[in-house]
Amino acid sequence: MEPTSRRRLAHGILASTALLLVAVAQANTPTIRLFPTTVVEDLRQTSSVAREMETGLQEVIGRLDQQQQLYLESKCDGAEDDPGCQRLAKQIGATYLDMLGIMEERLPDMEHTVNNTRLSLEKRLRSELGNKMTSWTLQETLLGGNPPKDMAAPTPSLRGRSGMRLSERFSQYYKLVASSSSHTDQSLAVLASDIYLDMEETSMLIARTREEIARATLIEQLNQSFGTITPEMMEVVGGVKTILFGDDTALAPVAGPPPGSVEQAYRSPLQN
Amino acid sequence: MKTMSLLTAVSVLLVASCATSPPPCDSPQTRNLGAAVDDVKDSLASGCAAHFDRYYDDLLRTAEGDPKPGNKRIFSEFLVWSAEEGLLSQRQAKDYYNRYFNVKFMTLQSDYNNCSHTCPRRDRIMLDMEHELSDKERGLLKVSLDNDGYYRADELFQEVELVLEATCTACSAGQ
Repeated sequence: MEPTSRRRLAHGILASTALLLVAVAQANTPTIRLFPTTVVEDLRQTSSVAREMETGLQEVIGRLDQQQQLYLESKCDGAEDDPGCQRLAKQIGATYLDMLGIMEERLPDMEHTVNNTRLSLEKRLRSELGNKMTSWTLQETLLGGNPPKDMAAPTPSLRGRSGMRLSERFSQYYKLVASSSSHTDQSLAVLASDIYLDMEETSMLIARTREEIARATLIEQLNQSFGTITPEMMEVVGGVKTILFGDDTALAPVAGPPPGSVEQAYRSPLQN
Repeated sequence: MKTMSLLTAVSVLLVASCATSPPPCDSPQTRNLGAAVDDVKDSLASGCAAHFDRYYDDLLRTAEGDPKPGNKRIFSEFLVWSAEEGLLSQRQAKDYYNRYFNVKFMTLQSDYNNCSHTCPRRDRIMLDMEHELSDKERGLLKVSLDNDGYYRADELFQEVELVLEATCTACSAGQ
């Protein structure tokens, strides 16, 4: 073989070896499996169940708002003995019962899908981050090799999302998770934690709401005979609107770093 | 003759007492970090090693008066010297450096998994991390003007808080 060909062959072997080593190194990089397909599917289903519930409630809550406005405009507040006002109050009470009925009907489905997602995530978090990692490796995962700032990274910090519709929230989770293969372990750990804690809260809220619905229905059925609007009734309606359709609570502003010159980072031999 | 012997004895006693009197171990007076490091090195080498923590704090205060990215290197070299002189172990030198000048939290050093070790003492760990974050604010932001580094540490603190809350809830649900 000629020297040139031999050199080319040697270069080829070296290049292939280097490629092979890179591939092996990538294969050995520990990846955390937080979002298997079951969790992705659970999220998608939760989003669609939430949307169905919203659609059902939107009309009845709209009606309730109109009736309440009419009640106030007719100066019924303080004139509860007036027969016209009593009729209006009864209509509001009936719509309120409709709302409770729809919630009673839809909440079990919602509870079921939320719990499924919560339990799947719980199992994953326990095994991948709780049992397989130390606090130091968790920190290294979160730092994730410091990706460059301009990288199109997902923004998983979704906590404090009260101004968002329930279905929209789950739909956003689904979209983030469904494209999880393009995410780093770093953002996935934060995302999974965020969703899990949100599911915990939602799950508790649904359970509490279901307990309350039976009580509220009974009280309203009694009120129907007297045609009164209780402050509690208005509070419940307000609460349901907040949960389902979000409120106006402004998101806390996120502080940016102060201006200042930053030189290229110095790396000490003591640095971990 | 007797007076002579008495004088000699007194002189010997005086010299001996001078030799055993502790060094003053004063803080560096200069506002220049390089010169302050030299002063501190002299003091440490002449019997003031027990005051290492105070000297380190003095140096940080001096550096806060003239913050610049190059200060990181001065501290690193000072700590490497301290380890070479046997004033600190390698591990201590690393801890001193990383606690102030690295994004990573030394508080999170552990050999055991999160469910069994971190979660049972999560409140304590978060409190220690908070203290470490304020040391990082001093080292990264006020001494080295490394704004990016400090804000990454702050972000990391919040991420660890969130992820540990979720992980520990999941761990306790599985018990």
